[in-house]
Amino acid sequence: MIRLQNVRKVFNADKANEFVAIEGVNLSIDSHGATVLKGPSGSGKTTLLSILGCMARPTSGRIMLKEREITSLPERFLTEVRRETFGIVFQQFNLIKGITALENVMLPAYPNGEKHASLKKRAMELLDLLNLIGKAFSKVEWLSGGEAQRIAIARALINNPAIIIADEPTAHLDTRLSREFMEIMRQLKKEGKTLLIASHDPIVYDSTVIDRIVEIRDGKIVSSGDIP
Amino acid sequence: MIFHPGILALLLGSALTTSMLCYSAYEGVRIIRNWDIRSGSERQLELERRTYLVSTVMSYVLGFQLLSLFLFIYTADTLSPLFIGAMCAAGSLNVNGFGYSALVLKIVSCLLAGLWLVVNFTDNRAYDYPLIRKKYWLLLFITPFLIAETSVQAGYLLGLRPNIITSCCGTLFSTDAKTVMSEFLALPRLLSEAAFFLSAPITVALGLYVYLRSKGAYLFSIVSFIHFLISIGALISFISIYFYELPTHHCPFCILHPEYGYVGYPMYLAILVSAVSGLGTGIINPFRNIASLCNVIPRIQKRLALISILSNSAFVLIAGYGILFSNLSMAAY
Amino acid sequence: MGAIEKQRNILDFTLSSLGRRKGKNIALVVVYTFVIFLLASVLFFTHSLKKEAFLILQDAPEMTVQRLLAGRQDLIPTHYIDTIRQIRGVQSVAPRLWGYYYDAMSGANYTLMVNAELNDRAGEIIIGNGVSMRSMSGKRNQALRRNDIIPFKTYDGSVLTLKVRGLLPFASELVTADLILVSEADFRKLFSIANDQATDLVLNVRNAKELSTIAAKITQIHPDTRPILREEILRTYDAVFDWRGGVIFMVLSGVFFAFIILAWDKATGLSAEEKREIGILKAIGWETSDILLMKFWEGSAVSMAAFFMGIFLAYLHIFLASSILFEPVLKGWSVLYPSFRLTPYISVYHIATLFFLTVIPYTVVTIVPSWRSATIDPDSVMRM
Repeated sequence: MIRLQNVRKVFNADKANEFVAIEGVNLSIDSHGATVLKGPSGSGKTTLLSILGCMARPTSGRIMLKEREITSLPERFLTEVRRETFGIVFQQFNLIKGITALENVMLPAYPNGEKHASLKKRAMELLDLLNLIGKAFSKVEWLSGGEAQRIAIARALINNPAIIIADEPTAHLDTRLSREFMEIMRQLKKEGKTLLIASHDPIVYDSTVIDRIVEIRDGKIVSSGDIP
Repeated sequence: MIFHPGILALLLGSALTTSMLCYSAYEGVRIIRNWDIRSGSERQLELERRTYLVSTVMSYVLGFQLLSLFLFIYTADTLSPLFIGAMCAAGSLNVNGFGYSALVLKIVSCLLAGLWLVVNFTDNRAYDYPLIRKKYWLLLFITPFLIAETSVQAGYLLGLRPNIITSCCGTLFSTDAKTVMSEFLALPRLLSEAAFFLSAPITVALGLYVYLRSKGAYLFSIVSFIHFLISIGALISFISIYFYELPTHHCPFCILHPEYGYVGYPMYLAILVSAVSGLGTGIINPFRNIASLCNVIPRIQKRLALISILSNSAFVLIAGYGILFSNLSMAAY
Repeated sequence: MGAIEKQRNILDFTLSSLGRRKGKNIALVVVYTFVIFLLASVLFFTHSLKKEAFLILQDAPEMTVQRLLAGRQDLIPTHYIDTIRQIRGVQSVAPRLWGYYYDAMSGANYTLMVNAELNDRAGEIIIGNGVSMRSMSGKRNQALRRNDIIPFKTYDGSVLTLKVRGLLPFASELVTADLILVSEADFRKLFSIANDQATDLVLNVRNAKELSTIAAKITQIHPDTRPILREEILRTYDAVFDWRGGVIFMVLSGVFFAFIILAWDKATGLSAEEKREIGILKAIGWETSDILLMKFWEGSAVSMAAFFMGIFLAYLHIFLASSILFEPVLKGWSVLYPSFRLTPYISVYHIATLFFLTVIPYTVVTIVPSWRSATIDPDSVMRM
């Protein structure tokens, strides 16, 4: 589904503080699988995830999404690809404070120009699916950790993406909520979504949901084997 | 110089927009020199970000230019009592040599800014930005026009000397200033009527052809431009007199006055919009064979043709309303 | 239709975001409103004065002829009337007697004018409602009433007592407030003016187009005269008021720059919270142009709110609160009248001018900061 060829990402190029985040990365992610990017903080995991998720462009190398080369797509089009293909769950959920849970879920679809009413209906259906219907009109700062996490998942699903990306999703959750998160992931995988999770939490990478672990260290892939 | 708030507003507005445009032109030069879409270098990413800034600036520039065109005429109108023999903008624009040049430059820069936005809109629909260098060259071409417009306008406004009483002398004996422009534009009525009633249906028909068949963009573009000139001539030589109900009053500006219900504004706006959309269809036509644009351009041309058809029809409808419901009967003249 | 829905969605979100950051925006809107209020007040005020002067001068004669002596205005001999009447196109010529009277007691300068209706009622005057002289019986600073008797000092040193016959109606306060109407006989007595002299002559002509030809002929026949056309007075007033308005604008430019700096500062100094929000929006699928659109709506909302509030307040200030803030600066005729109301009048042109002077500079200073915040990297939220 996604193929990276010899991808390299440099920050502050040609300056004293030049920093190579990832280098020489070749990686191929298949559809319908669940992959974990594992590695210590500062290993280039987040950079790799943001390149895979079309949030950043590599300094060099090539990226293919399905059969389309998206390496040098300008931001205007890359964003479109990202919006249609990826749903993203962040480490701290990154919900927008001061507005309702429902609005948070609807936000990623605003630029699509969908009718407000039909968008709202879809968002409510998603909230219903995740048992959050009662919280639709609560402000997000009043939600519990578990609820906030499920709102973040609902938001990632609103544009019906093929791939779900999660960046350290369990870092701020207790064990029970972490397991609950993985159960939701299992459900999504069953529905045919491709999962891509960056984590160094054993609850995540030891979970039976996961098909494959890619290990990164110092910007390079050290192992990318399938789980037997 | 006359210390008039309207003059201050025009000078300030023009200075600001022109300096923004000059900055954009500078960014344009950088983009022309360094653009490399295949690269993922930080410089390229930065240049891509700059394109957003330039697009934003240009949209504002067009908006401001359009507003300032009308504010300019309105100010000239308001100032007319200060000059002997000036009854409206037609007279006060004639007070010094820069008045009409400033007006023409303002119209030209409106058209150019509109065309740039058409090209930019087109380019932004293609994933590889194929027109990027061309559109920034176009930007560099437009910039001198705006600089000229700002300078000529400043020359006009700063050079205004009102005919006022001073303590040392009484009545100022000056000959009535003639409004050269309107006499020049007051073409023989029959000729301009014929030209207008011929070019209006032809332009609309060609617009429909482009809309339905996606062909004939160049011809449509040229005809639109001719029609633009004919429309202005027609407005002055025979349409306006029906609104004024005076067979000899050929003023291009009085029609903007409240006593005629500001009817001049939608009419001039319609003329400008149809000129930009008509010319726009042609200006993007050479690029229709570029792979990433071959699906995009016909769609944009269709939309532009539709806008042109609508604004032309709006103009004809307003003019027709004025002619049919006027108390002026031309039979007598 | 998608494009319109998109605009609506983004506008909705922008407005709710503005609501969430009230504190930050209120300060900006208050200052913005204040600047627009000041500029709008100046504009409305000068325009109303112009309008008022226009209304007054509408009834003025088409041409006035003065006599000059060594470059200064002097009394004009009434026999000039006969020669001027001979000029083709002149309909009527009449002498006028008017002048100023300084009252040392109240320290004010009054306009004295001869009124034909009083000519067979010598000894009586009609006064404007701003006149407050000390009557023979009354106390100082007491409003004058009918039948009050006022002592005037004549130019030959004696005292002339005149009785108030009535007060002038309020119609146009700007001219009539300090006006005293007297009979011709009393006027000549007061200022020791000979019977064959007048202050100036007023003319009516048959065809307005011949005004300048007639004026030329008058100066030819009487080289010591100066004809003044009504149009010229109007033009001069217009220019003077515009000029004053312009000067005030320049004075206010200090306030204006302070506002621009504040706007720049507010636009550049994004809080960490706002940056995070923009980062989130970009990460979840908003594009730079969407954020720019949001910033456009944000700026428009702030500008429109300040614009309409500022204009509304200026309207109240000028037309209902008697322009208390800068009456002394702009009126500059006489400080006599404590208050007078201007006729409310606002035109599209004022709104457009104000828009150019305030909204455009505001927009220009916020373009670059908005763009900067809109180009935050979408992956920035993952690095925080």
